[in-house]
Amino acid sequence: MADRNAPMDQNELMTLQNYLQEYGQQAEIFVQQLQMLENGRLEAHAAIESLEEMLAANGGAVLLQIGGGASVRAKVVEPEKVLIAIGSEVIVERSNKDAIDFLKERIMEMEASQKKVAETLDRLRAQMNEINKRIESGYQQAMAAGQNLG
Amino acid sequence: MFGGLREKLMAARQRLGGSIEAAVAKAETEEGAVPAPESPSPVAAPPQKSPSPPSTPSFVERVRVLITERELIVSENDLDEALSELEMTLLESDVALPATDAIIASVQKNLVGRHRKIGESVDALVVNALKGALLDVLGSGFDLKEYITKHERPVKILFTGVNGTGKTTTVAKIGYYLKKEGFTVVIGAGDTYRAGAIEQISVHAERIGIKVIQHQEGADPSAVLFDAVQYAQSHKLDVVLADTAGRFHNKANLMSQLEKIKRVMKPDLVVYVDEAVAGNDAVTRAFEFDKTVGADAVVLTKADMDSRGGAAISIAHTIGKPLMFLGVGQAYDDILPFEPAKVVDELLDCGT
Repeated sequence: MADRNAPMDQNELMTLQNYLQEYGQQAEIFVQQLQMLENGRLEAHAAIESLEEMLAANGGAVLLQIGGGASVRAKVVEPEKVLIAIGSEVIVERSNKDAIDFLKERIMEMEASQKKVAETLDRLRAQMNEINKRIESGYQQAMAAGQNLG
Repeated sequence: MFGGLREKLMAARQRLGGSIEAAVAKAETEEGAVPAPESPSPVAAPPQKSPSPPSTPSFVERVRVLITERELIVSENDLDEALSELEMTLLESDVALPATDAIIASVQKNLVGRHRKIGESVDALVVNALKGALLDVLGSGFDLKEYITKHERPVKILFTGVNGTGKTTTVAKIGYYLKKEGFTVVIGAGDTYRAGAIEQISVHAERIGIKVIQHQEGADPSAVLFDAVQYAQSHKLDVVLADTAGRFHNKANLMSQLEKIKRVMKPDLVVYVDEAVAGNDAVTRAFEFDKTVGADAVVLTKADMDSRGGAAISIAHTIGKPLMFLGVGQAYDDILPFEPAKVVDELLDCGT
């Protein structure tokens, strides 16, 4: 194992910079993945809220968002029946309650995945911190050596 | 790995077993309700062959078998609900529809019409049916070591796939795996398109002690990979691992570049890399890639983060190409050769 106190040469510094860049790219991918999971989770929560509100409306009008901040008042013909994508591009009809249960289960799955991705990201960041410290001390050593030479 | 699917399969296994147990109990109740059979003849007559197909045994036949042979014939009706639940379980786990259909058909075929001896473990019956169905769908895997051993060297392996799925890291991991297995390897840095890709593969190669052939950013990837093959030939190396830029199958210019790479380096294997967490999307993309440039095997990365397991279960069946490796973590040795029997045992909790 390399002596951490030994002065670092230019090549070692460059290698560390490359490691840092590589870890940075990996971390970026995991951050994107976390964001996707979070979006999915929020979407599922919103769907649950809508399904519950539709039932509570009891045949009355509900606000239907049509994008761009616009909404219309709409009456849902069958609030008890929900068409839901269960995966593999398959859509099935479920009761309102079953659809909510399904979405809750999905949220739990997404939260579990988020936890795993976040753990991996934490590990990567810890490694990046370690490399950063090494690079910083390398620069300081190089600067000190330069001053002595001067 | 695939924890969610494992839990759901356990529930499906119990549900199927429960359905069969219920059928046994029902048949035993019915046995008490029908008139007693005529006194048995001193020499037991061989059981008559049923005129109806095994999937639809009549009530009389079921009771007869129960009385004379102490067996139960499992009928389609007994399993209807449990199979329907299994179907939902698989679809919810992102197992592709054709693979789901194949699994259900196989379980049904294996269970319906079975003469189950009373006392024989229902669970064993169910597990064997599920095991057989999953193994049929998973295929036989792809033994890279065996392929290299039996093939003329250097074996040239081209890695393709969409952006950001961990292709370059996978090349490094497979390089490390092969080196550990005693093969000599060179890596061709064929991703000359993405900024930093050449540095990335060089860093990996340096860390695992494998020679990397590289040109500068923006160079023709065919030329880089041709040089990598030349290097392997002149140094009598066993394997060339060719990294390439990520691309989508509908990008015509990038796909024609891939065609050129194939013409120039003449790969022995084209390996498609995607991430397990992409689920059914990964299966669809693999299918499109195979249609466009062809693929001989598949590697799925980030399998450790995939609780559903849908892509891993369906990909071989859907595109007809074997799964070769599963990426399961960040370290170089976090790559597992895909062994269907082992995966199925894990999924069904049959730890052997």
